[in-house]
Amino acid sequence: MTSLALVTACTKSEDDSGKNTSGATQDDAGQQVASPSTDSGPTCTVDAYGGGKLDLKGATVGFSQSEKEANPFRIAETASIKAEAQKRGIKLLTANAQSQFSKQISDVQDLIAKGANLLVIAPLNSDGWEPVLRAASAKHIPIVTIDRKINATACKDYVSFIGSDFVQQGQRAADQMIEATGGKGEIAILLGAAGNNVTTERTKGFEDRIKEKAPGLKIVFRQTGEFAREKGQSVTENLIQSKPGITGIYAENDEMGLGAVNALKGAGKKPGDVKIVTIDGTRNAVQAIVDGWIYGVIESNPRFGPLAFQTLDTFTQGGKVGQDIVIQDSSYAKGNAQTDLGKAY
Amino acid sequence: MLSVTKLSKTFPGVRALSDVDFTAHAGQVHALVGENGAGKSTLIKVLTGVYRPDAGEVSYDGAPVRFATPLQAQQAGISTIYQEVNLVPLMSVARNLFLGREPRGRLGLIDFGRLHREADEALRRLGIRVDVRRPLRELGVGAQQMVALARAVAVDARVVIMDEPTSSLEPREVATLFGVIRMLRERGVAVIYVSHRMDELYEICDAVTVLRDGRVVHTGPLAGLDRLRLVSMMLGREIGEVRTEGLTKFSGSHTATAEPVLRADNLTVRHRLNDVSLALRPGEVVGLGGLLGSGRSETAKAIAGALPTDAGRVSVAGTPVRTGSTAAAIRAGISLLPEDRKAEGIVPGLSVRENIALAALPALSRFGLVDDSRIDRVVETFMKRLRIKAAGPHQKVGELSGGNQQKVLLARWLALHPKVLLLDEPTRGIDVGAKAEVQALIDELADDGLAVLLISSDTEELIEGSDRVIVLKEGVVVRELTGDDVTEDGLMRALASAPAGGHDG
Amino acid sequence: MADLALARGTLDRARLLRLLQEYGVYAGVAVLLLFNFAFTPYFLSTENFRTQAVQVAPVLVVALGMALAIGTEGVDLSVGSVMALSTSLLSLYLGYGPWIAALIAVLGGIVVGVANGALVAFVGVQPIVATLALMVAGRGLALVLLPQLKDVRDPGMAALGSGDVLGVPYLVLIAAALALLVAFVVRRTTFGRQVLAIGDSRPAARLAGLPVSRVLVVVYVCSGALAAVAGILATARLSASDPTSLGTLMELSAITAVVVGGTPLSGGRVRIGGTVAGAVLIQLLTTTLIKHDLPPSWTQIAQAVVIVLAVYAARERGRR
Repeated sequence: MTSLALVTACTKSEDDSGKNTSGATQDDAGQQVASPSTDSGPTCTVDAYGGGKLDLKGATVGFSQSEKEANPFRIAETASIKAEAQKRGIKLLTANAQSQFSKQISDVQDLIAKGANLLVIAPLNSDGWEPVLRAASAKHIPIVTIDRKINATACKDYVSFIGSDFVQQGQRAADQMIEATGGKGEIAILLGAAGNNVTTERTKGFEDRIKEKAPGLKIVFRQTGEFAREKGQSVTENLIQSKPGITGIYAENDEMGLGAVNALKGAGKKPGDVKIVTIDGTRNAVQAIVDGWIYGVIESNPRFGPLAFQTLDTFTQGGKVGQDIVIQDSSYAKGNAQTDLGKAY
Repeated sequence: MLSVTKLSKTFPGVRALSDVDFTAHAGQVHALVGENGAGKSTLIKVLTGVYRPDAGEVSYDGAPVRFATPLQAQQAGISTIYQEVNLVPLMSVARNLFLGREPRGRLGLIDFGRLHREADEALRRLGIRVDVRRPLRELGVGAQQMVALARAVAVDARVVIMDEPTSSLEPREVATLFGVIRMLRERGVAVIYVSHRMDELYEICDAVTVLRDGRVVHTGPLAGLDRLRLVSMMLGREIGEVRTEGLTKFSGSHTATAEPVLRADNLTVRHRLNDVSLALRPGEVVGLGGLLGSGRSETAKAIAGALPTDAGRVSVAGTPVRTGSTAAAIRAGISLLPEDRKAEGIVPGLSVRENIALAALPALSRFGLVDDSRIDRVVETFMKRLRIKAAGPHQKVGELSGGNQQKVLLARWLALHPKVLLLDEPTRGIDVGAKAEVQALIDELADDGLAVLLISSDTEELIEGSDRVIVLKEGVVVRELTGDDVTEDGLMRALASAPAGGHDG
Repeated sequence: MADLALARGTLDRARLLRLLQEYGVYAGVAVLLLFNFAFTPYFLSTENFRTQAVQVAPVLVVALGMALAIGTEGVDLSVGSVMALSTSLLSLYLGYGPWIAALIAVLGGIVVGVANGALVAFVGVQPIVATLALMVAGRGLALVLLPQLKDVRDPGMAALGSGDVLGVPYLVLIAAALALLVAFVVRRTTFGRQVLAIGDSRPAARLAGLPVSRVLVVVYVCSGALAAVAGILATARLSASDPTSLGTLMELSAITAVVVGGTPLSGGRVRIGGTVAGAVLIQLLTTTLIKHDLPPSWTQIAQAVVIVLAVYAARERGRR
């Protein structure tokens, strides 16, 4: 540790003088609690799940985060849970699995052992949750999973899943792309990491919507950028050389979109020459809208705090909650980018 | 039992075997002789399935066969003991003995108790006493060879091929080996025996096949074949020539000056050397005698800084040398030609040129940049002087014959202009012709004023080559033979007498 | 007759394999280039070659260090993490100006190299284990120093990333200069010869009085420093420091380039020309598949096929 202190002692990065720009310190200005009401789709109650009612105030909530808070999404997600717990005056225990699934399992077991009455889990994997779920259901601990679903029976092994609808995000991105290009021309997709449900769903929503609404828009290129800026950049460099006539690029996350912007800049293009639509809603991407490089950004909302606690509150008081709750994602375009920049994470 | 007809095998640029006929009969020990490069190793590798012949037929038990892998040959009953021990060094002696056919207990797990017991018995029958639980690599080369032999005998082999099995054995072990070979012969096993040592051939073999340049030059019973005739067939030289030149190339004595150039005092390495002291004068060849494991190689390595010492001093021309550092020893002018030429001597993938220049590189460079023209000059000089036979300075050393590899190593050290040369088994595993050349070279170097320490398991070589012989036993100097005492008889008596540690004479 | 034909057949096969190992990588590059000239639209443009060269530069620089490590019969798995560490340090110290920041980044790579080298040379840990440890530690340290992606707006770095001299990008010039330097070191210096001797037979090198430990440490220091340089180049190109994803799987790309280039994993031989060609081959392969919009999994399969071919050629040669 001392050596680390030495390394960091006299660092001086470019914007040390400026204020911290990371999402951790921002207020919860952009929080969207609104969601489809509980009357659509299957629901769950405390009677069906087992266990008794309790008052959320005075209860202990355990939160298990899957990955290190190293990207804006995870930072905003954890911050939102913490902020909401504080606002409601609930005791919150947190753990971070650092991208190791075995650690997440033991994290959750620890949280239960430390006396958590309720659990909010951002799962790293969908599978392999049996041991934990067994331990939790023995104690009738309600579980809400956020952002990723687990393969188990809702309202039996866990209460609800709260997350974004990735197919819908893809559809909305397609709508923006159609608007940007006028429904004509050739477009490319920068896919996310292969074998990831986010990738497949964001692709499916986008492609289906394009086929349905704008048959004049041809998807001529699909390559993975692995959700990373560097890959997005190098793939786009190849793209604009082999297909100079490309009119639009749909990037399945902001980072790849920003990589594409880099590539376009490097090739001497002007802002707006190629329409870029991305998903996530990080501050950098929204800033790129303001600068004119990105046409639109569909948000993938990381602020699960209010919705998660509201769900738990309703549930523990005996109310009905949906088994699949969709969090509302906003979107950014030329019109609102400047004003809503502060809301981006 | 096992025979080949019209066998040919070509490697890029070399015809290793052409039209070779060879038959090994059951219950017979068949010697396979020839200089290095004559094709013995290739023939053995074809017989054991390592190489596939380009033309010709191998038949086993009367039926034509084609072994695709050594394993197939082994399963068919052909066991081989190679020149280099080919066992698993990190596994225990017992595991090596039973590798692939370990006694299984319940659940199919290895029954270690039985494994160790049976291994111990098998080795005891061959007169070897070692802890079978120890990893093989902790054993000396000779003991490892005996383990390989035990392994070959333990499997029910019908043909046993031995490629220079005695090159690292001490006399007592050789006797054991011959006992085993006789036992095999009585059992009706066909033994193919490759060796350079005439005495051994005449002692144990029934028939002989002489190979030269990939062809069979003679085959027939050994009894009645004149020794010199055999040597002349191997060398392809006339009998008279061989007789006048003798079998070793040493001239005998040198005139040494009085002051020793190398002094090693009280060298001690735990379990290996105890208080060994010796001095070498410029211009003399001092032999280091002793049985296997007596500490000869360890003494040489300790002097050369390749073996860390627990106590003792080394000085060259009166200046102390830091022990335990090869670099320091080399700077002081001490050069060691290691026993295991292939593993510790040559760098097989580099060229003759690079190998010769390797140790002298700092001296042949300017500001860390290699001076190619100076290297070329040095390499050319030594290739000529030592008569190194290679396609050119850029041929890889790994492709040369053993004798030429040894000469390349000598050249590497001579390029440093050393004061002291430590030679550990300089002629092991090299053919008769090259052996004579190396021996003559050692003489010449001593005449030029170098102090030479010679280690050899070949007593004839040791006696004829050395001016004095220091005899080691269990890490202790027990005797020094000088003047008229330097005889085989004197050496044998020194080895037999005065047990240092006090067990089995 | 049949036997004769058989003999010639095996002889030709052996020669073919040797040729494949010696020149296969150049032939592969040539074939891919010809294919692209014929079938890929807009391939034959200066702009495209610039792009390919810029993209290959960081991989190549890492592969140069890897070639040295592999030449000593070792390997350096920590290179990707060193790139991440380098980008973190660069970003943290950029306030002092790009030169000082770059210096500190390279220093970080050297420190990791010293740790690797000391573990391998003095402690006697196997290179794969030693560098694996530093691979984990290096990435961890990089993320502690800089937990998330950070934009780099320094004009000097921007110039490094996109500037050029007479149409040749700085990144390419730097990579080419380093390749020439390393090739020179391998061919012409005492150090280069010693690396090869140690890789071929370490006991022999030790008994020949070579400074084995020192050479090993220097080799891993070179590898670390080169990886750090690659990290700086990649950061300049991306105009952002991204320690989470920068350099991931870089060790595999570098090893692939080195092996495909004909440097045997068993050490004793270092082919810098082959390594450059190997890196270019992998780059062209990826590019070709991207430009023809083939599924990304094909790229991985194609890479695997090339590696298997290279290893097969090397193995056949080693068996003789």
